[in-house]
Amino acid sequence: MLFPIPGVERNEHGKPLIGLDDASLYAFGHLLRSTEQLILDLFSRGLLSGTTHTCIGQELCQMAVVRALDHEDDAVLSNHRNHGHYMTYSGDFLGLVAEVMGRKAGVCGGYGGSQHIAYRHFHSNGIQAGMTGIGAGLALARKRKDSPGIVTIMVGDGTLGEGLLYESMNLASIWNCRVLFVVENNGIAQTTYTSETLGGSIEARGQAFGLQTWRLNDADPEFSASVARVVAQVRESGRAGMLVIDTRRLGPHSKGDDLRADDEKAAIAARDPLAAIGRRLADSEREAIEARNTVFLARIEAEALASPEASFDAQRLHTFSPVSTTRIGSLQPAKASNVRLAINQALRTLLGGDERVLLIGEDLHEPYGGAFKVSAGLSGDFAGRVISTPISEAGITGASIGLALDGERPILEIMFADFLTLCMDQLYNHAVKFPGMFEDVKVPLLIRTPAGGRRGYGPTHSQNPENLFVSVPGLTVLFGSHRHNVGQLLVDAVQRWPNPTVFLEHKLLYGEAQDPADYELVAASPEDQGADLFPTLRRGADAPDVTLLSFGGMLPVVERAAKQLEEQEELAVEIVAPALLAPLPRGTLLDALLDRPRIVVVEESHHEFGVSAEILAMLAEAGFTGQVLRVGLAPVPIASARSLEREQIPDEQMIVASVLDLI
Amino acid sequence: MAVSIHAPRINNNDDQVKLIALDVAIGQKVDRGAVIGQVETDKAVVDIEAPAEGYVIGLQAEVDTMVEVGSILVWLGESADEVVPAAAAVETRAGQASGAPTAKARLLLKRHGLTADQVPAAGERLTAEDVEHYVAGKGGRTAQASGSPVATRIDRLPDVPGALRPLRPDERGMVNTVSWSRDFAVPGYIELEYDPQPWDAYAKDYADRHRLMLSPLLSLMAWRLVELARETPALNATHVGEQRYEYGEINLGFTVQAGETLYLTVLRNADTLDESGFVNAQGDIQRRAAGHRLVPAELQGATISFSSMARWKVSRHIPILPPHTALMVAHAVSADGRHVLGATYDHRVLNGFQVVNTLRKLSKPAVPDRKKENTQ
Ligand SMILES: Cc1ncc(C[n+]2csc(CCOP(=O)(O)OP(=O)(O)O)c2C)c(N)n1
Ligand SMILES: [Mg+2]
Repeated sequence: MLFPIPGVERNEHGKPLIGLDDASLYAFGHLLRSTEQLILDLFSRGLLSGTTHTCIGQELCQMAVVRALDHEDDAVLSNHRNHGHYMTYSGDFLGLVAEVMGRKAGVCGGYGGSQHIAYRHFHSNGIQAGMTGIGAGLALARKRKDSPGIVTIMVGDGTLGEGLLYESMNLASIWNCRVLFVVENNGIAQTTYTSETLGGSIEARGQAFGLQTWRLNDADPEFSASVARVVAQVRESGRAGMLVIDTRRLGPHSKGDDLRADDEKAAIAARDPLAAIGRRLADSEREAIEARNTVFLARIEAEALASPEASFDAQRLHTFSPVSTTRIGSLQPAKASNVRLAINQALRTLLGGDERVLLIGEDLHEPYGGAFKVSAGLSGDFAGRVISTPISEAGITGASIGLALDGERPILEIMFADFLTLCMDQLYNHAVKFPGMFEDVKVPLLIRTPAGGRRGYGPTHSQNPENLFVSVPGLTVLFGSHRHNVGQLLVDAVQRWPNPTVFLEHKLLYGEAQDPADYELVAASPEDQGADLFPTLRRGADAPDVTLLSFGGMLPVVERAAKQLEEQEELAVEIVAPALLAPLPRGTLLDALLDRPRIVVVEESHHEFGVSAEILAMLAEAGFTGQVLRVGLAPVPIASARSLEREQIPDEQMIVASVLDLI
Repeated sequence: MAVSIHAPRINNNDDQVKLIALDVAIGQKVDRGAVIGQVETDKAVVDIEAPAEGYVIGLQAEVDTMVEVGSILVWLGESADEVVPAAAAVETRAGQASGAPTAKARLLLKRHGLTADQVPAAGERLTAEDVEHYVAGKGGRTAQASGSPVATRIDRLPDVPGALRPLRPDERGMVNTVSWSRDFAVPGYIELEYDPQPWDAYAKDYADRHRLMLSPLLSLMAWRLVELARETPALNATHVGEQRYEYGEINLGFTVQAGETLYLTVLRNADTLDESGFVNAQGDIQRRAAGHRLVPAELQGATISFSSMARWKVSRHIPILPPHTALMVAHAVSADGRHVLGATYDHRVLNGFQVVNTLRKLSKPAVPDRKKENTQ
């Protein structure tokens, strides 16, 4: 709820309109400082917990950039020290105080606390530089819509040590879009002086990426006006830039953790630019401003205290948005001469059917045509929407999240699934957090990636990392096989499943004919999210002696093992092949498996703590009484030599031997 | 020395290529660099060239099939009559040790509480069908008929010098019996003393009426057992796969000592006879046993048995259950004149109460006027 701020007008979105005159700047700056002092006071009174970082001493620095943003598409990506940015952007003082206190009236209903705030185009997050790639994506989305909106990305000087920042600066530069990187250079990071951790110069870093670069000091009397000119220039130029602001932190990093010497603190207090503006006002005017701010804040405090503790209306047990009904274009054929072509055709359908679909990744353009040539022919036919990027897996994942947040349908290709670990923070701390925290926010991002071994590519190009990603809450992991309609899985994942999704493709299957053969659909249990859209298949005996559960590139191998078990060992063998690994279609699998006598889960990945473990744990919890076994890769790196690799990755002989052992 | 020509790798992602042409024949001379065939992937067709001059001495792949990259397509020799190196011709294939049961057979063996060496294999490996066959009742007989009863496997001869002697059929039958009993039956034994007077009187009366020279007592008691088995099907049963298998016919086993040989004679379908028919048939079989003139069908497939050691005046004998039966009655008369009816029974099928009940009924002849089955 927005309360009138004394002496301050708001625009139609509630954003305070702050003049450049001393009285306006002082009035708002003083309000920021008083609000944060209130927060620290509430903290010492035991009325809030967790962590909080105030911008006391840096109010003008935090205000100046946000204050100058006057287009409704302008966005602010902030960090742990975000209160000044947020209050300047929203004017929502109660929302902030109540949020930090964990009350219902908080801007995020208590979900985000001090560090994770989302409101219109304002987002903050507690991972240093974590949102910078997202900022590049948001800016690219604005550019694609011809919006002059600027994305401002706030980082501290300590965060100049984060690599992702530079991937993002590079992306913003080559994409020529309106990103303003703002470095709040307060000389310290928590307790470490940045002079000890920073090589070279800050501005040179921006310049090296071709960013227009400025350096300003918040103690300069013309500071806020200068910042406004920088913002205007970014808007006008349509290009990315970097603004370094020299400032000083007057308060502690968080609470009670200020270990600096008294004389240093005294020098910072003497420099205090907010106090300096106050001193330029007549005493009576300053006192009047302070008095009306005090009254306003007393009201905010009372309202916050009156707000009940945050509680869930209904606690969510998962964060997946439901399947949407829109299907654009015709269904993909169940059979294809090979899986590579099926995926290529699906990408073509997606690009052709929806302008919002973008292909992003390394080496996507002709004549290379992307990893394993899956995107062959597309860059020519869909110019501008098939985007070859620098080698920046985290950066392009962030950018794709930004694009998805702004309504685009990015399909990101990661050249080898092994490289997904570079995207992990973007998925684990970002992609899933937006829809996770805010029910109505969707991140329809799909990452496709070739996975798997048996190609002799060695330890870092042969892995099936699904075991890592299935454990990310809110992340969908799909791993189709040549028995599935892989093209349709992909189309549906992009068009009808508006959730962050990792789509694994086994290298070995690209050349394999796509053919459902004698497989049939396993009826999806209605309680399973996505189980209908991404079906589980089965073939073989109805009363099997053994059930082989497998997926992805393991399936052809499992089929050969099943044939041997059937023909040479006379066993009745069933194969169950899910495509959806997370969210695990629990009801569907339980219905299919609970009465089976023996279940062997075969996977190519390092399977300790993996998919098989989860499936078998689920069965155990449901009272399964048969025998179980896991077959997978031992926890060792995959060797390069084909002969060594063959010994490591389960093959049909290993599966047959394991089944015989079990029996 | 012969040179091999291999299927080439065309791109890193295809481990197999399609052989689309092989343009040479055995005996043909080729020059170095000559195109001998072509392979194809989804992207390209590539010629295969002879790496050296030579004569084609072996073709190892078929046109229009997928071949493994690196596999041998053609052998070239220095002369047309050179032979393909032997090691290359041998195809190695890791298979199951021959003779081992299939996994399905093992599952069935486990389910029926059998071991692989009990069930004869029709082919190279023991199959599910073999086990099912055996379990369906044919198996036990097959084993006996084929003269390969189960024994304790002794892999090594004892250290003490000696000679191996083959077993006579009846000895093999006994080994089979005790092995089944050891491995599967859960035998119990119960006995009770009885007053011989009513049976003796009944037998005497029967002998008088039928002018018999030998006492029909044991045959009459065996007949009584057949009647009891008809009343109580569990007596004429065995245990198969966690269930009781009640036989559809009563094949009465009856021990006959003929010189050195102990026969368990089997009178098939005893329940289809009447008292005198049974006594006659039983007499006939005993006579032929004494002359060692029984046919195999009369020596296998007992479903319930009767054994008497009254002749030897032992005070007790505890028989071993014949395979796949639940009850063998043991009759004894001790030197001091005590008459004893005992029974070895498979505790998986019968309990002691049922056995005692049976023995009590068996200890007296049937009361003639109790024959009122037709009133229900
Ligand atoms: C990736 C990551 N590493 C470490 C931290 C812990 N942390 C929070 S703030 C901070 C110091 C940041 O310093 P700086 O970027 O200069 O910003 P300032 O606090 O000075 O505004 C650290 C180390 C974090 N939140 N995220
Ligand atoms: Mg800092």
